[in-house]
Amino acid sequence: MKKRLKRAEYSWQYFLKVCAFTVATLSISAPSNADETCQSPYMAKITGQEDFVYVWTLGMQGIGDEQDKLVTVDVNPKSKTYGKVINSLSVGGRNEAHHSGFTDDRKFLWAGGLDTNKIFIFDVHTNPNKPTLYKTITNFVAKSGGIVGPHTTYALPGRMMITGLSNNKDHGGRTALVEYTNEGEYISTHWTPTDSNLQGAVKTGKFADGYGYDIRVLPRKNAMFTSSFTGWSNYMMDFGKMLKDPEAMKHFGNTVVQWDLHARQPKKVLDVPGAPLEIRCAWNPKHDYCFTTTALTSKIWLIYQDKKGQWQSKDVADIADPGAIPLPVDISIQSDDNLLWVNTFMDGTTRAFDISDPFKPKQVFEKKIAAQVNMVSSSWDGKRLYYTSSLLANWDKKGKDNEQFLKLYHWNGKTLSEQFSIDFIKEKLGRAHQMRFGAYSLYANKAVPLKNLVLNQSILNNKK
Amino acid sequence: MLILKHHQLIIGLFISLIAQLLYADLPQTIPAPGYSPLNFSAPEPGSYVLSPLGQAANGLVLTTENTKIELHDLMGDKIVLLSFIYSTCSDVNGCPLATAVFHKIKNRLKKEPQLANQLRLLTLSFNPEHDTPKAMKHYAKGLQDSLLDWQFLTTKSEQELQPILQNYRQSIQKIVDEKGQFTGTFSHILRVYLIDKNKQLRNIYSVSFLHADTLINDVKTLLADGGVQTPKKSAIDLKDTSYYQAGDNKLAYDKENYQTQSIALVDRKGQVTHLLDTINNPPLGLPKLPIPKNNLITEAKISLGKKLFYDRRLSINNTFSCAMCHIPEQGFSSNEMATAVGIEGRTVRRNSPTLYNVGYFQTLFHDGRETTLEQQVWGPLLAHNEMANPSIGYVIEKIKRLPEYQGLFEKTFDRPAGMETIGQAIASYQRTLNAADSDFDRWYFAQQNNALTQSAQKGYQVFVGKGQCNHCHLISSSDALFTDNQFHNTGVGYEKAMKIQSTTIKVQLAPGVFTQVDSQVIESVSENKPNDLGRYEVTQNPDDRWKYKTPSLRNISLTAPYMHDGSISTLEQVIHFYNQGGIANDTLDLNIKPLNLTDEEIKNLVEFLKSLKGSNVHQLISDAYAQQVGDTIENVQ
Repeated sequence: MKKRLKRAEYSWQYFLKVCAFTVATLSISAPSNADETCQSPYMAKITGQEDFVYVWTLGMQGIGDEQDKLVTVDVNPKSKTYGKVINSLSVGGRNEAHHSGFTDDRKFLWAGGLDTNKIFIFDVHTNPNKPTLYKTITNFVAKSGGIVGPHTTYALPGRMMITGLSNNKDHGGRTALVEYTNEGEYISTHWTPTDSNLQGAVKTGKFADGYGYDIRVLPRKNAMFTSSFTGWSNYMMDFGKMLKDPEAMKHFGNTVVQWDLHARQPKKVLDVPGAPLEIRCAWNPKHDYCFTTTALTSKIWLIYQDKKGQWQSKDVADIADPGAIPLPVDISIQSDDNLLWVNTFMDGTTRAFDISDPFKPKQVFEKKIAAQVNMVSSSWDGKRLYYTSSLLANWDKKGKDNEQFLKLYHWNGKTLSEQFSIDFIKEKLGRAHQMRFGAYSLYANKAVPLKNLVLNQSILNNKK
Repeated sequence: MLILKHHQLIIGLFISLIAQLLYADLPQTIPAPGYSPLNFSAPEPGSYVLSPLGQAANGLVLTTENTKIELHDLMGDKIVLLSFIYSTCSDVNGCPLATAVFHKIKNRLKKEPQLANQLRLLTLSFNPEHDTPKAMKHYAKGLQDSLLDWQFLTTKSEQELQPILQNYRQSIQKIVDEKGQFTGTFSHILRVYLIDKNKQLRNIYSVSFLHADTLINDVKTLLADGGVQTPKKSAIDLKDTSYYQAGDNKLAYDKENYQTQSIALVDRKGQVTHLLDTINNPPLGLPKLPIPKNNLITEAKISLGKKLFYDRRLSINNTFSCAMCHIPEQGFSSNEMATAVGIEGRTVRRNSPTLYNVGYFQTLFHDGRETTLEQQVWGPLLAHNEMANPSIGYVIEKIKRLPEYQGLFEKTFDRPAGMETIGQAIASYQRTLNAADSDFDRWYFAQQNNALTQSAQKGYQVFVGKGQCNHCHLISSSDALFTDNQFHNTGVGYEKAMKIQSTTIKVQLAPGVFTQVDSQVIESVSENKPNDLGRYEVTQNPDDRWKYKTPSLRNISLTAPYMHDGSISTLEQVIHFYNQGGIANDTLDLNIKPLNLTDEEIKNLVEFLKSLKGSNVHQLISDAYAQQVGDTIENVQ
């Protein structure tokens, strides 16, 4: 005790003396400004083997209990239940389960319902292999001032930023960002700029539609970006009906907005026509750019800072044959910023683009995953790629092509090899949508090096 | 002359060491932005809002003098920055970052003593076992001075610490070795909290976010005006009718040079109108409104009906009110889709009909299957593909449970909510949506010669002459409903049911960008198309196949797209459709035949149709804007 006290007495000075050592060796302190390749930079990351994949799954009429559920799949190859569903937590109703995101302490997973506007907050830290429903936010619309369609739940320090897709006035695309505390208390609403109220932002092109979809941030640049999809009327509509409806097809977003992250104020509205969806920012601190893809026009767009420090948008590549509407959906950037995975829903294909020159992405690989494919999640080292199938309940393919699955592939730099596949219909689960990774190591109190997050039996026992 | 004090040397050495390390061989450990000059211009103090994040928690702590004190005793008089650390923490981007940033703040505020006087820094240890008051005193050496109130705190025990950590959601975990022995190291999330003089949390910072520049600006923002969004007086002129239109206008979206003209939803403001006036004194051009004897109109019924009309909780999953399909600024219809969608996006076969002047119609729905508004109300409420309530009783009981409706039905009807009173209330509101006194009305009925443009006057001549439009869209000498309240087959329904689909379908991808898509591709994501046989579904008479009710033409420029299935986008296209004689089929209406209208006549006819917009529509829309949308208020779980 005395020894330790002595160490403490000289701690500030002691720290200075030993910092050369600690910088080199201490990766124990879990909070890091990095994460798996599409997570918020504010939270702890799993750099090694993930233990679980949490699949936010849509209830499907005629399948199982027909409810939305959080499905936990064991993905640790050393486990006896590797590749198996080990837990399923139904939440009641079909809420149009869509995206989910951890809080910055990675203790809770927030999962939104695009239809009913409920946000389900799961405790994933108490027992990572069996999440529990901690809280449900049911008054999101009323609290937020009429925002509908909670989509991305994105961690900021001590709070969650939630992108809306729609509103309660016309179910169209005008919407806002909504900020909540980690405790689930409403903080504020930040409206996406529109022509009648640009809120100080510059409309750089022809569009200021006020739509929303995804959010990503570059803290070092104090930059926040949002993309734009469509309102409730379209994302809930039968896909075929919508494609044949000229009025409906006019109501898609054509913008990316650059915000002042600290002030939460929109700065520039950039034209990115054709429904820009997921945003993925580069990880290298010197790479001041993000990618997005447009669902309808099938292009990769680069959002980058020019030499004058101004943020710009530029279409840098086509994805497949845009005229055939391949419908690029989820994308995933590798942690070395060299590869961008792009899934196209209509042909069920995943494509890899070499983005080492971000202005000239080149497709270097493609593989058909299934009749339809939506989400792709990459491990931090890029070696494991998980795929799921569902886009939206009423946009998924009909009949035999409505394959619903979670698949794991290994990527060796040249080929994708399937490791396991779980049929979500056969398992009576529903439509598999977004995946998030879990690991015991995130909550372990053992001195486990972060580089080796393979499930440790002693930790498992400890948690049990 | 550069004379560095002891602590400045320490910080300087510290940063220099980090820099050397990082640029040597440790690219994975990047120093937090807080160690370097800010990479961007911090937003100006007072130019942004720091919304309250909740109450800053209290707790018993110990000062370096071993004095017991409550955290709240250190708050209230000054703005507080609170960091949680443990003194032996050696993660460069952990506790030392917080201390280094505090140190920078202290140095920076030497030049701003007034600001320094209003700020207190608190460094609280979460390792009471080791960080005794004495240890914290040593930790504080060289960091404290008289310029800024910087206090170093600990707790008596982990028991007293835990509630503080829990309330601040400061996550920490002791790291133990394989034998279960505490290694002296913690895994923790670095957090610093900004607390205002009302003891409210106003910001939370973590590694990527912690920087002296932004923290100081945040402190200044709180001092400037509290950093709270003050309710501003609306900049919207409620008399400016340009706000009472569809807020997401897609006019000319088919052109490459399309530009948005979007209206902010925060500008969707309105004021209550005396709706009863539209019944007691119908706008020019409308006859006396028929009111059923068993549902005489009252202000209270209108008010209650309006509340129900905009309440999204009147559906099985609280997402659909009547107004989600009958959107006030979209002609009490929906401009954004051809045919409606209901609960869970379920397909509705037909276009949402406008509710303007609906009180005058003899039958309701496109197929005329209902006869009174009071009864019609229950159709969408119970339809599986609309609001999907499972039963009448379900709706009644739900309304009875909602606090906002307590006593309202009793006050309005002298009886509780029931099937009849719910129908009567909503019907009463719908009967007020009377919009006329259009340019045409003033020209035709009030004999104001200048009220109608020359083009529209010529269009009127086509309407009643060569076009024969008035055969179904009636105009009398005293008023005009522009409908015969009858059912006709134009061929639109026939074509949908009987025509073989083309192999490709034109799909718009972006403004001015179209593509032809293989129809099989679209079919792969299409549900089985529900059929629609029109009036036949009500009468079962084969002669009524594909007949639909004649809609009124009043306010028609507000209610695109057109026809019972919304299959025609513009008025020009509608006239072209009739000009070619509709679509031939066995029961095509005899009135429909090729018209041989010239382009000039078509143009004039369009102008005439546009002249049918009521002068009071903006009042009805404004009144609708003023009604709060009903959404789930309670957080029940």
